[in-house]
Amino acid sequence: MTRTQHLEEYRFYRERMTADGLPRPWNLADLEDFATEHPNDPFAGRVRDGLMPKFTLQLEATGDPSIWVALEPAELDRWARVVARVWERWGASPGETIAFFEYGSSPLVLLASSGYVGYLRRGAAERLGLNAICNDGVAAMAERMVTIIDTLRPSMLILRRDLAVPLAMALEASDVKLGDCVRWIAVSEVEGAISRVEAERLRARFGVPVWRILRSDAAFLVAGECPICRAFHLDRTFRAEEIAGHVAITTSFAKVCPAVRVDIGSATLLDGGCAAEPRAQRLEC
Amino acid sequence: MLSSEKTEPFDALDRLSPETLNRWWTRRLKRTLQIAYAELPFYRNRFDASGFDPARLRSLEDLRAVPISTKADLLAAGYESVVARPDAPMTVSVSSGTAGTTFVMHTKRWRKLQGYSSSRAHWWAGLRPGTPLIMSAPAWHAYASIQPAIAMHFSCPCVVVAGTFLPHFADRIVDAIRAFRPRFLTMFLPMVFSILATARRQGLNGERLFDGIETLVVTGAPITPGMRLHLQEITKVNRVTELAGSSENLLAVDCVHARGLHLVPDTCYAEVIDRKTGAPMADGERGAVVHSSLIASGSLYLRYDGGDIGIIDRSPCPCGLPSPRIKLLGRWDDCFTLGAHTLLPYDVQLAMESDVPELCGTAFVISKDGLANGILRLLIVEPENLIAGLRDEARSRLARHFEVPVEIKTVRDLPLRFKGVPPILSESEAAAVV
Repeated sequence: MTRTQHLEEYRFYRERMTADGLPRPWNLADLEDFATEHPNDPFAGRVRDGLMPKFTLQLEATGDPSIWVALEPAELDRWARVVARVWERWGASPGETIAFFEYGSSPLVLLASSGYVGYLRRGAAERLGLNAICNDGVAAMAERMVTIIDTLRPSMLILRRDLAVPLAMALEASDVKLGDCVRWIAVSEVEGAISRVEAERLRARFGVPVWRILRSDAAFLVAGECPICRAFHLDRTFRAEEIAGHVAITTSFAKVCPAVRVDIGSATLLDGGCAAEPRAQRLEC
Repeated sequence: MLSSEKTEPFDALDRLSPETLNRWWTRRLKRTLQIAYAELPFYRNRFDASGFDPARLRSLEDLRAVPISTKADLLAAGYESVVARPDAPMTVSVSSGTAGTTFVMHTKRWRKLQGYSSSRAHWWAGLRPGTPLIMSAPAWHAYASIQPAIAMHFSCPCVVVAGTFLPHFADRIVDAIRAFRPRFLTMFLPMVFSILATARRQGLNGERLFDGIETLVVTGAPITPGMRLHLQEITKVNRVTELAGSSENLLAVDCVHARGLHLVPDTCYAEVIDRKTGAPMADGERGAVVHSSLIASGSLYLRYDGGDIGIIDRSPCPCGLPSPRIKLLGRWDDCFTLGAHTLLPYDVQLAMESDVPELCGTAFVISKDGLANGILRLLIVEPENLIAGLRDEARSRLARHFEVPVEIKTVRDLPLRFKGVPPILSESEAAAVV
């Protein structure tokens, strides 16, 4: 990992470097501790002092203190490519529509289109030739989501976990049948992923396949559940290592705000690939 | 601000004379109408039915032959009013209202052209390169499709706040302002009050929160002169600017003189007409705002009556910009009759600040129950330093102004989402949301 020699230039990592030239794995709590001690640094030491990258995003998972991550345009594009590959594995055809019942600030939305965030050259939907529509990520907008489904007939739906029940209730109160147009739903959690049990429960309620999304915004990690092996396939831009029952992620495209050895919590790395992607790193959590 | 202060031109379009701009508009409209006729069955059928031939458009007056379209018409038309290649991916923005949910299709070309046009609007409003730009619209809103292009035009870093733009996310916006200290900030009017309230809870007054912000652009509601002064006073921001827009392409913004909002010419052309006769209204007279998009890509709105009431002012502006100024005052849906007058909530707010300047900036609700009984009953948040007897004085001054009985009831608080925009609610609704 040649890049780690530069990590000492980042205050957050400087404090975490070990003798072997790697930073100690870290998690959100470590980042919050650093941010609390350095209240004037919005990036919690992960961006070089004085630098203001073209794209900054407030982490939803940390409120007080507020922590920001950053990317330059080319990195943003590579992140969007990861999202496109996730959707592609679940099946997406040009001309179809993907709908979001999520906050516009979710990377899953932001990375969908250059119309949602500046400096993104081609969003995931644009790469796949999809139309994109985002509803606001609040339960009060469930009825409008039903109208969106009924009118625009999306084939794919990205759904924020806490909105699954409000949407199901709104659908049940209407005569709109989700399965008439939506081929799959992918459920996102702010950090981590929903359990398989919950996904199965939602599949039963919505009547369409429900895939899980694994997300860690501090690591720029987005991974999708494989429809065949049901584990999360990691894009080749992420490198995972298992450390004492936890998995740490290093993200190769994140240069301006490095994500090196980000502990995403309790998880297991699985041996070998699966038939869908023999070379993909896979993890279960 | 000097009365002769000029707006620095954004490009050559801003240097045109009003007459030349009218000719430019005519050419652009003609081209757009021709595309609509050639590609969109919705418009072709309507033009044919009314005997309008786009090729014969010679002046802006000729535009009056184009039939007015409404939200219901466009909802029924669906994709028949969308200019797009079948394989072009689009983003779709949403707006909701009493007539139903509108879906506005945006192509990449629309975003590019609209982005440039909106950059002009923001330039007029005072945006200059380099300042961090806090994204201030949720992804479902048309403005969200434009802000990325504006940020890129001015090479501004994009700051994306987690969550959405509802009062309980105000702390996130406060964090963004404090962390990145933008010089320019755009915000939906009620959110300004939400972030001020949040900052106050954190021990920050408006002046400290807005420290370094040179321009505050408020949008989403018409602001009265008193509201502008009130915002300047509580934020100490030198320039408070109003920007008005609609998902369907209307865009207008204040210049430094703040005597109405200049139409942004490369986005739209707007008229103010008599809703019954279709005749153009004289300057300063209220009518229906009807606008036509000049971007023939994505959803296309031509002579679209979105339900707004406004006035137009074609007189020269000291700022030197050639486009006429409009002011949206409210929506037909919000009109109410009181005594001999047909009014908008804007009128009540205006009367409040002109006749009772002590209550300028005070949040209030207009009681629907009162209106039903011919009474103007206001629920107001009592200011902390209310002068004894002012409530009675306000009641009598407003009664004189509107020539109807007026009642004023003080309430402890109103929801932040209503601040700056007086809504008309039944008192049970108002009580339920407090």
